[in-house]
Amino acid sequence: MKIIIAGAGAVGTHLAKLLSREKQDIILMDDNEDKLSTLNSNFDLMTATASPTSIKGLKEVGVGEADLFIAVTPDESRNMTACMLANNLGAQKTVARIDNYEYLLPKNKEFFQKLGVDSLIYPEMLAAKEIVSSIRMSWVRQWWEFCGGALILIGTKMREKAEILNIPLHELGGPELPYHVVAIKRGSETLIPRGDDTIKLHDIVYFTTTRKYVPYIRKIAGKEDYADVRNVMIMGGSRIAVRTAQYVPDYMQVKIVDNDLNRCNRLTELLDDRTMIINGDGRDMDLLVEEGLKNTEAFVALTGNSETNILACLAAKRMGVSKTVAEVENIDYIGMAESLDIGTVINKKMIAASHIYQMMLDADVSNVKCLTFANADVAEFTVKAGSKITKHPVKDLGLPKGATIGGLIRQGEGVVVMGNTLIQPGDHVVVFCLNMMIKKIEKYFN
Amino acid sequence: MINFKTIIRIIGILLLLETVMFLVCSGVSFYYRESDMLDFWKAGGITAGVGLLLAALGKGGERQLTRRDGYVLVSFAWVAFSLFGMLPFYIGRYIPDIANAFFETMSGFSSTGATILDDIESLPHGILFWRSMTQWIGGLGIIMFTIAVLPIFGVSGLQVFAAEASGPTHDKVHPRIGITAKWIWSIYAGITALLVGLLMLGGMDWFDSICHAFATTGTGGFSTKQASVAYYNSPYIEYVISIFMFISGINFTLLLLFVNRKFKKFIGNAELKFYFGSVVLFTAVIAIVLYYTSPMGMEESFRKSLFQVISLQTSTGFATDDYMQWTPVLWGLLTIIMLMGACAGSTTGGLKCIRMVILTKVSRNEFKHILHPNAILPVRINKQVISPSIVSTVLAFCFIYISIIVIGTLLMMAMGVGAEESMGCVISSIGNMGPGLGETGPAYSWNALPDAAKWLLSFLMLLGRLELFTVLLLFTPDFWKRN
Repeated sequence: MKIIIAGAGAVGTHLAKLLSREKQDIILMDDNEDKLSTLNSNFDLMTATASPTSIKGLKEVGVGEADLFIAVTPDESRNMTACMLANNLGAQKTVARIDNYEYLLPKNKEFFQKLGVDSLIYPEMLAAKEIVSSIRMSWVRQWWEFCGGALILIGTKMREKAEILNIPLHELGGPELPYHVVAIKRGSETLIPRGDDTIKLHDIVYFTTTRKYVPYIRKIAGKEDYADVRNVMIMGGSRIAVRTAQYVPDYMQVKIVDNDLNRCNRLTELLDDRTMIINGDGRDMDLLVEEGLKNTEAFVALTGNSETNILACLAAKRMGVSKTVAEVENIDYIGMAESLDIGTVINKKMIAASHIYQMMLDADVSNVKCLTFANADVAEFTVKAGSKITKHPVKDLGLPKGATIGGLIRQGEGVVVMGNTLIQPGDHVVVFCLNMMIKKIEKYFN
Repeated sequence: MINFKTIIRIIGILLLLETVMFLVCSGVSFYYRESDMLDFWKAGGITAGVGLLLAALGKGGERQLTRRDGYVLVSFAWVAFSLFGMLPFYIGRYIPDIANAFFETMSGFSSTGATILDDIESLPHGILFWRSMTQWIGGLGIIMFTIAVLPIFGVSGLQVFAAEASGPTHDKVHPRIGITAKWIWSIYAGITALLVGLLMLGGMDWFDSICHAFATTGTGGFSTKQASVAYYNSPYIEYVISIFMFISGINFTLLLLFVNRKFKKFIGNAELKFYFGSVVLFTAVIAIVLYYTSPMGMEESFRKSLFQVISLQTSTGFATDDYMQWTPVLWGLLTIIMLMGACAGSTTGGLKCIRMVILTKVSRNEFKHILHPNAILPVRINKQVISPSIVSTVLAFCFIYISIIVIGTLLMMAMGVGAEESMGCVISSIGNMGPGLGETGPAYSWNALPDAAKWLLSFLMLLGRLELFTVLLLFTPDFWKRN
């Protein structure tokens, strides 16, 4: 598959590295040669020094044969222009990164397709959604819904009160168990457990279950004493902060702390009175306490500096805030931030990249999410009649090590998959696997 | 630190690949019902055994290779290939002496073409075929060959490729290195097949055609005849080989552009222009001098001049005439050509035309700079500005190249070799040409040189083939430090 990525910024380079390891033909374009030279000599991809909006440049990289054109420069209108040019020059599918909520409205979809922009991606919006869903369920580290909520993935950290520690998984319960453990993150390592693995203290465990049994998961994880979030404090008035404040449910009260007065004034224009804007340094604990940090259930650090975010979250945790969320843009820090007990780590690059990654997978896959914590992929497949996976019960399929079927949705109802489950054509199957093994798994579905 | 486990494993797999090559040669022996078949089986058995052992020893290492590992791997892979590649010569007592056998093999893999054999025609066909095949495989590169046929490097293919590829910059023709390698190898194989056909039309038998085609497109220069191409005494064969040597001296990514019918880019390439220009200029000058100083006629002077110029500039080293019999100023001209070489990214040796182009532009800029002290003077090639770091790499490369020639010549003289021969051998080895000057010229083999000189020259061939830095880097203390 030939993929052209325009813009060698954080998202573009991350995506290019990710896809080049996947043996896709990647051409990365940027008009700044310095950004490209190290990538060119260290990764199996081709770079082109040309402006993404130059027709000559686009023709030179062979946009006519491209299967996918992704414009991820920082400038929204430039991305749109590049996509329109690429589409008219013959690119099969185009994706533009945008910075405007209006464009995402469903009624505009057809209009943009007519212009030649097939998909839009709004990393700040995706990040905001993830933040909100993580603070809505403060005891949950990760929350992901499949098929409109029929099946739910929950990631949560095991504390002393958990009821399922040190018991081999196959002893936890018979076929009636209403959940399935799909992944365990222990230290910096992610494992897809088998029946004889056990859950240990401080593991982050990922369950799939149905909505009905979420309280049960909360009980066995020993998290019943976690308070629901009503007050949120956000440090750093970035674009993600604005989106988050707009996106939180009405019962939550949001305070944004930023130390740039001009930015604060701008934030008051962008947001309504529901949100309180505070001018001050988010690292100043006295200020935060004065503004009611002790009554706050969630603290979200979204400054441009990953280190500040991590440290601020740790400080907030000391002050008794139960849920902390940090934006960490440095991928190497994510594992460390996780081990330091930060509730949820948000990485804009990875969210955007996994979103685009799902677009390039075969049409049968409707949803892939890169779990930032677990280094695992989640893919949703629709089962075709006669495919390999329908032939045997799950335990006899011989799925490769490091992959597991988390659950399936049959006629709109979520079902937790056990060893004896036989998958039927028409099911939506949710698969978990390590290290981009999706390509191998795909074979079972075709 | 260096990832020795994976390096050992890959070298083991490479040796298995070499075993397959031995089996191909034993097929040739079988066809001619000659005794060397057994030697290939013995050599293959040893190589496969060591290969399997190394592959097993290196099991379970980290798959990812760093840039550092790439340099170690490439250097050692070439040495290992030559060490085991000499087994057929040595086991069969065709070359009973280790220094000679290693020299001959390294000369083949580095596509140099200098030989220590005094009676080539007496050797069996399988051995001759192996000798020619080493040049063909080595011409484009052992690693490049492996990348094209086996996916053993995984994501590290690029790091390894960069350590072997020639020229100061590497153009990519396809986003993925594996496919780039496949395209380039198919062009290479296509040119070779075409040449085999044309040579057979000229009256060569199929065995000689294939061997000479291997030596031509690999720009090696091993012939199956003691008298080299002059043996055939056929103007047709001489012209055909001249043309194909010229083609093999062009950057293969450019040839790919030509095949894809992007003629404008092909014609406009600065390096190609320089290469073509220098061939035309030197051929004309030498032809005119030959016409007036030797008994040759007009056509013959032109033909001999063309063949010798292209043969030396592309570092092939075939000969149709003993240029040591020509008037001495012509040796000087030919030495300049030997130093220059053809295009980067081809199968040739020498300094490479692209570096000459950059050097001329840098020098011209220096003069301009004296007149206009405040001017910003970029070095532009193919309308693109070459970054100063590449320019300084080129300058350093040329300096090291010349220094090695001087040191090498002195060492050779210290071993008791004559001055003219010393210089000729060193320039010829580091540039991967083949014939030298004086007593080591096209009419002689290098058998008379002392053993120490043969080891030295083998090393220089490897150095020249991997373009100095890859090998020399291993000799710098910093390389082995943990930081």
